[in-house]
Amino acid sequence: MLSTLATDALRRSQLYRRHMAMDATFTTLGDSVVVSHYASEDETKQAQHLGLADLSTLPRTGFKGLGTPDWALDLGIELPARPNRALLQSDGTLVARLSQSELLLASNLNGLSESIANATQAELAERVYSLPRSDSHSWLVLCGSQAAETLAKVCGVDLRPHKFADGEIAQTSIAKINGVIVRNDLGETLSYCIFSDSSSVEFLWDSLLDAMAEFEGAAVGIQALRDCR
Amino acid sequence: MKLLTCPLNGQRNITEFTYGGEYHPMPDHQQATSREWAEHVFFHDNSAGVVIEWWCHSASSYWFLAERNTISDQILRTFPADEIFRERIDFNPTPADQGERK
Repeated sequence: MLSTLATDALRRSQLYRRHMAMDATFTTLGDSVVVSHYASEDETKQAQHLGLADLSTLPRTGFKGLGTPDWALDLGIELPARPNRALLQSDGTLVARLSQSELLLASNLNGLSESIANATQAELAERVYSLPRSDSHSWLVLCGSQAAETLAKVCGVDLRPHKFADGEIAQTSIAKINGVIVRNDLGETLSYCIFSDSSSVEFLWDSLLDAMAEFEGAAVGIQALRDCR
Repeated sequence: MKLLTCPLNGQRNITEFTYGGEYHPMPDHQQATSREWAEHVFFHDNSAGVVIEWWCHSASSYWFLAERNTISDQILRTFPADEIFRERIDFNPTPADQGERK
């Protein structure tokens, strides 16, 4: 069987050269190619301890404008109660409310999202503006029991689990890069999604791996994240 | 460390923010003379005392207003822009504007 290449899909991650240099094995999910795992096939323990994954090729999008909350409710999207909160939908889509009238939608770990497909195809109501996030933002996941300790080295906001509940959002600076941090636990495993400017994601990836080294963290593939759920 | 409280994101390091200039009430754009409009856009009072200023939280691109004492550099309060801007303003050109462009 031929192996999947990082360049097989239309969209490739800005980090694909990093992944190839780390002996990554890729897998196809819907229209996306993501890292399944690196050299070791079983990375679950690593992800539970401290792992960094790149989900930048998975679907995500956004909408903004005063009409957005009502329009999203009409589409059957369950809205987080207040800004800077996120809510998982029944199809596993993560809906992050970045302000009163701004939403970020990110797919589940299978690369599928009915909510994103519906919202993308639906006609925009008055004062609803599309805010695509696939090209502008990268999507990293930092997970494991040491994730908060790692983030404390590069971010000024207190993200420790007892201070920053599951579903909380911090829009802040991470290693001097502006980003959106969403705590989105994978089962029992502490996990943070980090959405940041895609043009500087190579720097952020290197900075996070460097910060993780102290706690014996390593890059993990999507398989490990799924196993943690 | 200097801290600023963003009305949307809470207290953050000042390095996460960008200064956006003094806030001035906008003159009626249909009635204002070119001089008044230029003063509104380009000129600042630069007064000593309590002023209202625009600030942007860069990580969330959120613009808000802050009341700051320029003498003591004390920030008295920060508040969302919709405390002042309650209605949408459309900059529809007047027939006179269109005449000017010809």
